[in-house]
Amino acid sequence: MAKASNLTRTDLDSSFESYLSVSSRTSNRSLRVAEKERRKSQTGDPFVLALKYFSEVEAGTPCSGNDVLERNLVLVERVGLSRGLPPEAISVMLDYAMSLRMGGVMCVRVLKFLIPATVVPQEAVVRAVSWLCVGKIAISTQVLFLRWVLTVFDMIDSKDHLRAIYGFIFSFVTEESLSPYICHLLYLLTRRESVRPFRVRKLLDLQTKMGRQPFLLLLLSLYKVFYPELVTLALPSRMRSGFKNHNSTWKVALSAVQKRNNGQVSSDISLTLGLKDKTNSRKRKFHHLELPSLSSSIQSNSSSRSRKVFPLEQLHSFPQLLDNLHCIELPSQMGSLLGSSLALCYLDYVQDDSAFLRLNFWLGHALHEEFLFCSGDGGSGSSSEALHFLNRLLSTQHFLQEGFSSTEGFLYKFLNVWDGSLLRPQILGLLSDIPVVPSSCISQLLFEPLMQLFFTSTLFFKCSVIDCLNSMLLKWLTWHSVYALEDGLDISLNSHTPMNMTLSGFMDSVMELVRFVGRLATVGLQLEGCHSLLLSFILDFYETVCDMFLKYGLPLVVMPPVGVFYPALFATDPVSVDRLGYIMYRYKKNLTSAKCQQQETKQAFHISRQTYQEFNHYLLFMVSCLWNSKMFLPGMAIEVDQELLALSKVPEPWTSFDLIHHPAFLGCALDFHHKCWPERKDIDLNSIKAGKQWDWYPEFLFSQGFQGLQQFVQSSINRRSAAGINGQRGSQPTNR
Amino acid sequence: MIRRIYLTSKLNDAVIDYFSLSRFQLHHGKARCSKSTSCCCFFSVMEERSSIVKTPLNNVLTQRRSKSYRRSMRSCVEATNLGYTSGHLTALRIPRSRRTPKSRDITKQVDPDQVALLVTKEWELSYVTPLYQFRHTQLKSYSKHLSAFIVSEKQQGLAIEVGQELGFKVNFSVVLGLAETDEDAETVFIQILSKHAFAAKDDAQKVVWSGWLTCVNGDLEYLRSLPSEFVSLPLLCTRGPESLTVLVKSWFEKTFDCCFGPLGINSTNLQWLAALWIGCHPTINIQYLKLVWTLPTLPPMDVKYTIHPQDAWELWDSVRQDDTTDVSIEEVTRFIKGLQSHFFRHFRIELSAGSLMQVSTALGSSHHSGKIKIASPTYITTILQLLTECALLKMPI
Repeated sequence: MAKASNLTRTDLDSSFESYLSVSSRTSNRSLRVAEKERRKSQTGDPFVLALKYFSEVEAGTPCSGNDVLERNLVLVERVGLSRGLPPEAISVMLDYAMSLRMGGVMCVRVLKFLIPATVVPQEAVVRAVSWLCVGKIAISTQVLFLRWVLTVFDMIDSKDHLRAIYGFIFSFVTEESLSPYICHLLYLLTRRESVRPFRVRKLLDLQTKMGRQPFLLLLLSLYKVFYPELVTLALPSRMRSGFKNHNSTWKVALSAVQKRNNGQVSSDISLTLGLKDKTNSRKRKFHHLELPSLSSSIQSNSSSRSRKVFPLEQLHSFPQLLDNLHCIELPSQMGSLLGSSLALCYLDYVQDDSAFLRLNFWLGHALHEEFLFCSGDGGSGSSSEALHFLNRLLSTQHFLQEGFSSTEGFLYKFLNVWDGSLLRPQILGLLSDIPVVPSSCISQLLFEPLMQLFFTSTLFFKCSVIDCLNSMLLKWLTWHSVYALEDGLDISLNSHTPMNMTLSGFMDSVMELVRFVGRLATVGLQLEGCHSLLLSFILDFYETVCDMFLKYGLPLVVMPPVGVFYPALFATDPVSVDRLGYIMYRYKKNLTSAKCQQQETKQAFHISRQTYQEFNHYLLFMVSCLWNSKMFLPGMAIEVDQELLALSKVPEPWTSFDLIHHPAFLGCALDFHHKCWPERKDIDLNSIKAGKQWDWYPEFLFSQGFQGLQQFVQSSINRRSAAGINGQRGSQPTNR
Repeated sequence: MIRRIYLTSKLNDAVIDYFSLSRFQLHHGKARCSKSTSCCCFFSVMEERSSIVKTPLNNVLTQRRSKSYRRSMRSCVEATNLGYTSGHLTALRIPRSRRTPKSRDITKQVDPDQVALLVTKEWELSYVTPLYQFRHTQLKSYSKHLSAFIVSEKQQGLAIEVGQELGFKVNFSVVLGLAETDEDAETVFIQILSKHAFAAKDDAQKVVWSGWLTCVNGDLEYLRSLPSEFVSLPLLCTRGPESLTVLVKSWFEKTFDCCFGPLGINSTNLQWLAALWIGCHPTINIQYLKLVWTLPTLPPMDVKYTIHPQDAWELWDSVRQDDTTDVSIEEVTRFIKGLQSHFFRHFRIELSAGSLMQVSTALGSSHHSGKIKIASPTYITTILQLLTECALLKMPI
């Protein structure tokens, strides 16, 4: 807005030239002083003198053959069309023109070059309107004036005085040729206070006289926004576009001036009604997926007539929202909020339960009718609409950062009939938004239907289910960490939680979810032959799980099942092994800090011995397998009979999964071997194990980008610098 | 997706098919159905679930800050409330037994003129989600608004002053006395009258559309759980041109932020209706019992099956296990199976393979697509209670 410009009107009474240069200036003090000097010396500026002439010229001065007038007029015109006129100049020239001191021809000519440089003072407009009331001006000139006002409307510095003369402006509405422009101006000025029954009646009278004129209807539709109980109408679709622009006369000059004054100032050029355009090309019998349009409600209005309210329909910007936060009125149909992020901001702020309930009724109804009852014209034809609808719902939920309860209820039912492919990304997206499900019903609501779908679907579906559950868990944990903090909740069990769901209840749910994914992952990996894509999604999930204590403050550590751990450890791609290394490293961090906390606070902690034991088992196995080349020994997690191993005829089977022979790292080992002994023809990988090479080899691996492995090795293995000793036992945070 | 739904609905029928296996036993008298136990399990599971229903919405309204936890608790309770049994979407809260219909002279409580408006007409059914800020005291202003709305919608692009004399006149009125419990909202009757374009000034206006919103013996827990700003009148019966129905619905949606959906009567409920009507036979002569099945043959075959009321009553009496006031779903199913097996013996057509589309007696008729006609005011509350139940089962929350 022009108002935002860093100029005050007091600056303007001196020189316009200097003013313009100031306007594009940084507020450098010394510069300003210099500017002042210059300004003083320019009191004899011809532009200022010209303005002075126009402000003082006597009425009735002849204009034909008046050289002084012509000279001054040309000067002001040139400035106006090239750089725009300062507010003061606008004021002077508008008054000069509208007072008809030199006749109507001059008036038209002046109006045509009245391009504001920054703002238009509203007093000038008010005075001009008062000249309009004198009634001497030709109708065509009046029209020109109104068009000018509409064009520069956004540049008028403030509108409260104009609103104060709403009644005067309204009186012109009966003038047939002015009526369209007056209606437009009124449309821009109308506030709730200005809507009165007698005005409504007047407009309706006009409607019967003039027929269904779009400008009347648009103004009436605005009146309906404010007082739906006074007037009602249905706008036909062709009229939804809004008022026409009347800026043709000034458009080119105005945009040039604004460009020149690096104008962020936008004018009337895009002043439209902003009514929702119906994109529905195909006529559907049932419109349950169509968002209702924002409109104010008949009822709350009548009850709160005295109170100042601000209908959401009128809300166009965030500052507006902030200004009117106390008096915003919810629309008659809450479903309409789904289309507007501003309205959603407000909804999130008010936390009005009946508003949420209304929204949920609407949303649940739409989802049920479309996907469950299928009472419409079938799902097949409307899939693009359904897609659009669900996408909008998803973005709304992401915006609010929570799922609607009607979506949740719908999903529980829908999962039972879903084929797993219809709108999969959307459905899974919605599913990941559902809030924490109590552990007592989680299996029945969620796990059973999901499991059925999971085991009967493709690899890709399996991956997306795991991904969905991962983001669900992430959201749950985030909620927990936010609300646990917000409510000053202590992370120990003996504090009384003010929530409906206790910490232990929450932990049970999380536990159930993690275990469920463990089961899915185990069977899924078997079904898909340990597919590395699936494994990658599963490891994603465990990256979340391993950090639950440190990142989200949840005193819960759940180890992955063997069906996940060993496939990851023996994976043929180094990425999986590397990520497993990272996960084990994080588990260790979490467990050790949990233990520290336990010792400090001396409280019974819920991380059981069994978890520590499991972790130690895994760690021991991983270290001895990767580092110490020990496998299949009695007492280890995987025991194989020695005779059986001998039958396999694999030489030194216990070394086959150490860092050198592990199928995932074989390539690296060969590469390393080649770098160490470039000239050696016969490759003996075991030679890496000896001497300095064994120290260098891990460094080489880490330099290949295996950060997870690096963290794992550094945290769990004490490496002695002495060469020849094949690594050390991992240090373990034992609980024994 | 649709295919899945279709299949699962078939699955439910399959459960009922167990009974058709036992039809021979039925012929030997009142023998118990051997397979009925499996069905009992099926329903008792749902029963258990319904018994843990808590008020879902009230406990929502407490805690503000911890919204995620709050919502989740609610959703859990809600989920149990709604019943998402696999395949059987709205299985929950379907009662396993009902009271035998009691003949009640409704005209003693309700204005007979108003009753006359409700009966002997065929109504089309819809369900309605709870109305937000509906007040029975504001009916006059609703009349004005609805009539202005109808005119403005009919004449697109013409602004209408609210309260002006128009071509349409709308009457809202309360039908007092139809509600059974304190939680039931009173029934609202709406009439749209139109004046003929060339009619003289004092010509009577003609009723072009009528409809009513009602709630009879609605689920108490559900009704109590709604916040006070909401009024639940879940059943809408309409009669008149579709275009006006659409307008009225859209006005309600705009004004009370509610949603409408069609309410069909599924075959189980049609069977219930048949049983309820046949149970009335001793007090009122139902004259006939007519059932219409559609069989999935190519082309589809409609079977109209009319039974002499006395025969039907005798069969009904024989399947009734005792003379309690409750009728159980097993009895109803056995009754229908009895009729079906009788038909099978004569025509070798297995009616249970098709679906029941229509039931009619002299007391009334109802159609699968959601149409009902109540001929006698005596049993009106029983019928409305059943329909209210169906409508409440459709509620999204």
